[in-house]
Amino acid sequence: MRQFVKGNPDLCIGCRTCMIGCVVEHEGRRIFEIDPDGYDFNPKLHVVKTAKVSVPVQCKHCENPACMAACPVGCIKVINDAVVIDQKECIGCKSCMQACPFGVIDVISQVGTSQSDGSKRVVANKCDLCVGTGNGPACVRVCPTEALKLVSEEAMQESVQKKRVATAEAAKAIADAMAD
Amino acid sequence: MTENMSCYVLCDPNKCTGCKACELACFAEHNKENNDVAYTVGTVTIPVTPKLYLTKTEKYCMPVQCKHCEDAPCLNACKKHAIYRDENKQVIVDQSKCIGCKDCVMACPFGAISILPVSDNGAVLLQKDKECVKAASKCDLCTGIEGGPACVRVCPNEALRLVDLNEEQLAKSIATANSLYDSRLS
Repeated sequence: MRQFVKGNPDLCIGCRTCMIGCVVEHEGRRIFEIDPDGYDFNPKLHVVKTAKVSVPVQCKHCENPACMAACPVGCIKVINDAVVIDQKECIGCKSCMQACPFGVIDVISQVGTSQSDGSKRVVANKCDLCVGTGNGPACVRVCPTEALKLVSEEAMQESVQKKRVATAEAAKAIADAMAD
Repeated sequence: MTENMSCYVLCDPNKCTGCKACELACFAEHNKENNDVAYTVGTVTIPVTPKLYLTKTEKYCMPVQCKHCEDAPCLNACKKHAIYRDENKQVIVDQSKCIGCKDCVMACPFGAISILPVSDNGAVLLQKDKECVKAASKCDLCTGIEGGPACVRVCPNEALRLVDLNEEQLAKSIATANSLYDSRLS
């Protein structure tokens, strides 16, 4: 199973540090020291705030990604076990955005690029688990309340195994009660 | 009391020896038609994907499987509506709709769901990028299969049984009423 980052709404205070951390990691420049118009602020996760909840939402890195199946140019790929959009190949058709049931794919305008009519290229954007940076997801590292967690395959399996053992223990109690 | 509660298979850990006959029967029964799995190992050309999971604790073991909850957390968690309740109130995964997002795995408090490869025509299904298709795999009570749950049928120790609480609850409550009646003079 692929790993993914999961937000905890009980811990999230909605400060959006994760979004900034994401941009800093992917921009590769010191964004606080450059002209705000010199780069685009395109985080790959978004803090959702409603009357009930505040929590960042981001890609689940599905096993059979609906976005990947919907992409007509094949620019959504699995790299190092993360579902990643190759923005150089993306044509901005928004099919992936429509296919994703979680609302975690955005289309963004890319700074420093242009189409034949002179407008900026607009491409799909979503969490890539910070593959290739070697540091792991930036959002997880920067969250001041530790509301974000990287859920690994091992952690997932360990949690399922714990639940199975608890289920077995409960079944044992039921069997014993019925034997009495 | 709710009418028409869903049924489920429950194991008696005092009888289970951990032989995994249930897992194999489950796999064989569900892959008989589409993947030509028959009675011998040689007919198996695909990964073994059961819908119940033998679990060992320090003292005993038993297969863990879906309880077909009345307010199913997996069904409520599935954004693709790939988990539905059929006419018998059983909770069923439509693997063709599943995108493998793992939400149901996390939502299930029993650990009764795994994400496993999907096969058809004797081979693992592949996605566009040639990775295998994976989907949530959990007990469907052998819906549509003659003879009912295969796990129950094959268990050599009769450790598994199909629990129908509609009947059991009625029998228990009648027994309780009878005992009240029997003891009314004392």
